[in-house]
Amino acid sequence: MHDVIPQGATDAPPKARGRAIVVTSGKGGVGKTTTTANVGAALAASGAAVVLVDADVGLRNLDIVMGLEARVRHHVLDVLEGLASVDEALVSDKRVPSLKLLAAAQTREKDDVDTAAFRDLIGTLRDRFDYVLIDCPAGIEMGFANAIVAADEAIVVCTPEVSAVRDADRVVGLLGDGRKVQLIVNRVRPEMVRKGKMLSVDDVNAILRLPLLGVIADAPDVIISTNKGEPVALDAASPVGSTYRAIAERISGTRSDEPELPREKSFFEKLFGGR
Amino acid sequence: MAARRIVVTSGKGGVGKTTTTANVGAALAQRGQRVVLVDADIGLRNLDLVLGVEKRIVFDIVEVVEGRCQLRQALIKDKRLENLAILPAAQTRDKTSISELQFAEVINQLAELCDYVLIDCPAGIEHGFRNAIAGAAEAIVVTTPEVSAIRDADRVIGKLRERGLPLRLIVNRIRPEMVRSGDMLSVDDVTDILSAELLGIVPDDPEIIDTTNRGEPIVLQPEARLTAIYQKIARRLEGEIVPFTSLNPPGFLERFFGKAG
Repeated sequence: MHDVIPQGATDAPPKARGRAIVVTSGKGGVGKTTTTANVGAALAASGAAVVLVDADVGLRNLDIVMGLEARVRHHVLDVLEGLASVDEALVSDKRVPSLKLLAAAQTREKDDVDTAAFRDLIGTLRDRFDYVLIDCPAGIEMGFANAIVAADEAIVVCTPEVSAVRDADRVVGLLGDGRKVQLIVNRVRPEMVRKGKMLSVDDVNAILRLPLLGVIADAPDVIISTNKGEPVALDAASPVGSTYRAIAERISGTRSDEPELPREKSFFEKLFGGR
Repeated sequence: MAARRIVVTSGKGGVGKTTTTANVGAALAQRGQRVVLVDADIGLRNLDLVLGVEKRIVFDIVEVVEGRCQLRQALIKDKRLENLAILPAAQTRDKTSISELQFAEVINQLAELCDYVLIDCPAGIEHGFRNAIAGAAEAIVVTTPEVSAIRDADRVIGKLRERGLPLRLIVNRIRPEMVRSGDMLSVDDVTDILSAELLGIVPDDPEIIDTTNRGEPIVLQPEARLTAIYQKIARRLEGEIVPFTSLNPPGFLERFFGKAG
């Protein structure tokens, strides 16, 4: 017997479910959290309802990168264990009201997360938000397994280093064929690529062979914005910020051109500090 | 006499654990110490790449534990430094395929064969971390001057102190010009927050990306800026009191006439 609900039977059309996208890499320190914060901020700034979920229980950092660490009152495990409602745990961004953060627990272990309950939580969030971005921990242990379980899309972040590429390749294998997987190549230094001292984006993707969402330059303003807790994607004057905004547009489907490669600074820009 | 067993850890990934393990290990080997480097990052091994021995792996640590080979068979000797060897991690297995006890047993066996065992810890604080610290008697904590790395290091230091492991700190990837402009935390800021003893200060140097990609520890290049820095770290590990290299940006005259690090 099947329950057949005829389309249009309810008064309001059901809201399309939001997309659950995990940001992952295998190797740590390649920019997962920075990517989650900036892509999320750019999507929200364009009007989407976005929630960022920190899956790095025990080593959370997304709250710091968003500059929201002082406002966190409850975390994912509080919600999973019934100590707080989703609404009580969500922290609103200071700058973009449609952007929310669900922080990880800092003093707990990843093994404390009930995988099925976490999957249900992401499902609940998908009913309320256009985008659920999940910031995956480094490695491929329990924290990784939990972070990917409810995501039907993945963004793999990789830097142009052989170790990062190898780890990313392993993660792509673990993500399996059931998910849409796209690539962001982070921390590219064009002048080093030109001198043959750094892998090019083509070198990286010759191994990974993933659709390319964007290429981010290695720029000090990313470190500065991270330390300040202000996503660079919200800085209209920052070239890196505009790259993040372009990535957000490719994700939302409003943009379909080939990602631009970061260009080298000209002699005069170096001399006069143009960024 | 049994070797010193030192884990290189950080909490946060990508701060330079593997690069530090390779270069401090190579610097100790250059000083005549017999050194074995152990890759504890089962499933995401990289120490073999950084040392350029990835094509020479026959057996790995999981096979040693499972009794499929002798410990000595799994060790790969470095071709450039005869005192240096590596025990690789398994790539296609999970971290849970070895218990803490088994890991510690392998480290103890290695400690009978050499002077230093350096254990390259995986990122995070899960099973792989617990394995890596199980066999260690002391720790090197690597961090970068970023708020997120320091917070993770703080968490790891708490766990190391719970176990009574003595630890020292390497602050990696300092950019002196950014510290000076107030855009980066200074080494003093970092050691104050973590209240840990300093073992080394390593500046951010793009050269290391290239040597790492080529599988060659940078300390093999006598003229590289970082070589002297890693060699000083090795000397401090051995108990020498070595002043820290000033990372203040060179003044006008120094830039023109060069400066000894």
